[in-house]
Amino acid sequence: MKALYTIITMLFLLSCFFSCKKETEEKPYQPTPYKIEIPFGFPTELNIPENNPMTVEGVELGRYLFYDGRLSGRTHPDSLMSCATCHRQERSFEAGIDHPDFPGGFPHGLTGLQTHHVMLPMINLVWNSTGYGWNGFLYPDNPDPQLRNLEDFVRLAVLASDEMDGDTTRIKNLFQSLNGYPELFEKAFGSSQITFTHIEKAIAQFIRTLISADSRFDKYMRGELQLSPSELNGYVLFTTEEGADCFHCHGGFGNPLFTTHLYYNDGKDTLFTDPTDRFSITGDPMDIGAYKATTMRNIELQGPYMHDGRFETLDDVIDFYSTAVVNSPSISPLMHHVANGGVRLTPTEREDLLSFIRTLRDDAFLTNPDFSKPELFPDEE
Amino acid sequence: MFLIKINITLFTLIGILVVSGCTSKTETPEPTTGKLTLHFDHEIEQAPIVFDTIRYTNAAGNKYLVNEIQYFISDVTLHHTDGRKIRLDAWEDIHYVDTDLPDTHDYLFKDEIEPGDYARLSFTFGINEVKNQTLMFVNPPESFMFWPDNLGGGYHYMKLNGKWLNLSNQVVPFDFHLGIGQIYYSYPDSITSFVQNYFTVELPQSAFSITANQTTNIELVMQVENWFQSPNLYDHNTWGGDIMQNQEAMILGVQNGWDVFKVKSINVK
Repeated sequence: MKALYTIITMLFLLSCFFSCKKETEEKPYQPTPYKIEIPFGFPTELNIPENNPMTVEGVELGRYLFYDGRLSGRTHPDSLMSCATCHRQERSFEAGIDHPDFPGGFPHGLTGLQTHHVMLPMINLVWNSTGYGWNGFLYPDNPDPQLRNLEDFVRLAVLASDEMDGDTTRIKNLFQSLNGYPELFEKAFGSSQITFTHIEKAIAQFIRTLISADSRFDKYMRGELQLSPSELNGYVLFTTEEGADCFHCHGGFGNPLFTTHLYYNDGKDTLFTDPTDRFSITGDPMDIGAYKATTMRNIELQGPYMHDGRFETLDDVIDFYSTAVVNSPSISPLMHHVANGGVRLTPTEREDLLSFIRTLRDDAFLTNPDFSKPELFPDEE
Repeated sequence: MFLIKINITLFTLIGILVVSGCTSKTETPEPTTGKLTLHFDHEIEQAPIVFDTIRYTNAAGNKYLVNEIQYFISDVTLHHTDGRKIRLDAWEDIHYVDTDLPDTHDYLFKDEIEPGDYARLSFTFGINEVKNQTLMFVNPPESFMFWPDNLGGGYHYMKLNGKWLNLSNQVVPFDFHLGIGQIYYSYPDSITSFVQNYFTVELPQSAFSITANQTTNIELVMQVENWFQSPNLYDHNTWGGDIMQNQEAMILGVQNGWDVFKVKSINVK
């Protein structure tokens, strides 16, 4: 019996010894969880894939990569292209109609090819779980696992001939050779060996932090300020069927995302020739000519408007919804004003509606240093 | 000697764990309660709806189609044969149904229900004024049902979206939306009061039993054409495409809602 106790005791001590040794010799990969603070009234359910949890280190790395023109896989000054080349913070991460290189806000890639659609706002996407892109071609339960989430969007943008026209192997090798980057990958993902999957994940993490929720309207929602009579009347118009009737698709106090992230044929056309509308994804005839309803947040900075950029200004958009809506078999049932050609706003109502829409501009977001270009890239520090 | 004491303690602890594990297995009580689920189907003319196709004619003679139906039911109440009313609200007292989202068609109650015979079932169509508070649903799809605060706040009770062939022979949309109504002093700017339009749906032909350790499933069907008939003839040509700011139209739908739901079947699993 004494011998048995001795053996058990020895085994116990040996196991303690080896477990202690392991702890002192290895530096375990322990990134810092990044917590997204839910703004007032916003959804609590977030679209963060299980295989890419948010970390402080991942977001930091993603910010560098988002702004680094070498993401194109090239180093010549003429061939640099980053996400930020098109997605400008001061334009709510769209190109904007005043983009210095893309006249009218129509982006083109390094090869000169213009993108098929104009850009969508890159804000509050952590709350989008119904599909990315104007037609929602990236969605969580897509049978193709390569077309599901923001991570995939990063890869597609890098590869697309009308965007970066890049090569994933060349890109990862380039970043492997840049001082400072392997260490950041080590901190973010536990390995200094750079993979393109980790590049995708880091950029997607950064994009998920781009939260706009501090506009004048948010402050009004939180009881911090009062809106002007014109802005308040504009909000009433925005949220009433007998007014401008925007809210069913574009939200309001009860849906502060100011979009449903769903797809509607809003009555722009009677003939449909775009092969990449929502119908191309679902095959549902009711989706012919349907596209994603964009968020109204910062919308005044995000022209040109509609999937094809047909409207330059918000005035043009309001004119369309007021008098130029046309019927078709697939028009959304929410466009019930179509028999009158639109919602028929008076000049005063148009001005009030615009006043309200401008309260959705979030200047703190547009200048937030956490979202801006780093002063130095890792190999410059 | 110290190590021997540790080992004795370890063996003792393991022994206690093993014994307690065995004990808990033998003491698991037999369930004394049953479960209930509701399933929602949607029909027109006693057949599943064929969506997006103009193939139906309502009682007013309007040819129409249905694109989608989204609605809330709440405060499901069981009426025991002994006269007691039992409210099922242990977990979810408001349920969202969306014809486009099959997962929403089943309302699974977590309530432990006393076995016995129940004479009928009733529920609120929509949400009562105490519970119908803006921002109580922050996540989609329920949050997309919000009803603007300036029109009374809270959430739509229902969005029934479709199209009808109007007098100009055009197929145009109608949004048959029910929620809190408004009384206007001067339409559409001056609201003097709001009207709570939620109503109770009684299902007289819904006698069922709850059995211990079993789930009773009641299949309900919404007969969509009934929204537009009995006691009120609802003519889209009269009321147009939108009614959220038209209590006169909404009340017709509310009054017609009494017989929209029927029990299709009851089974026990």
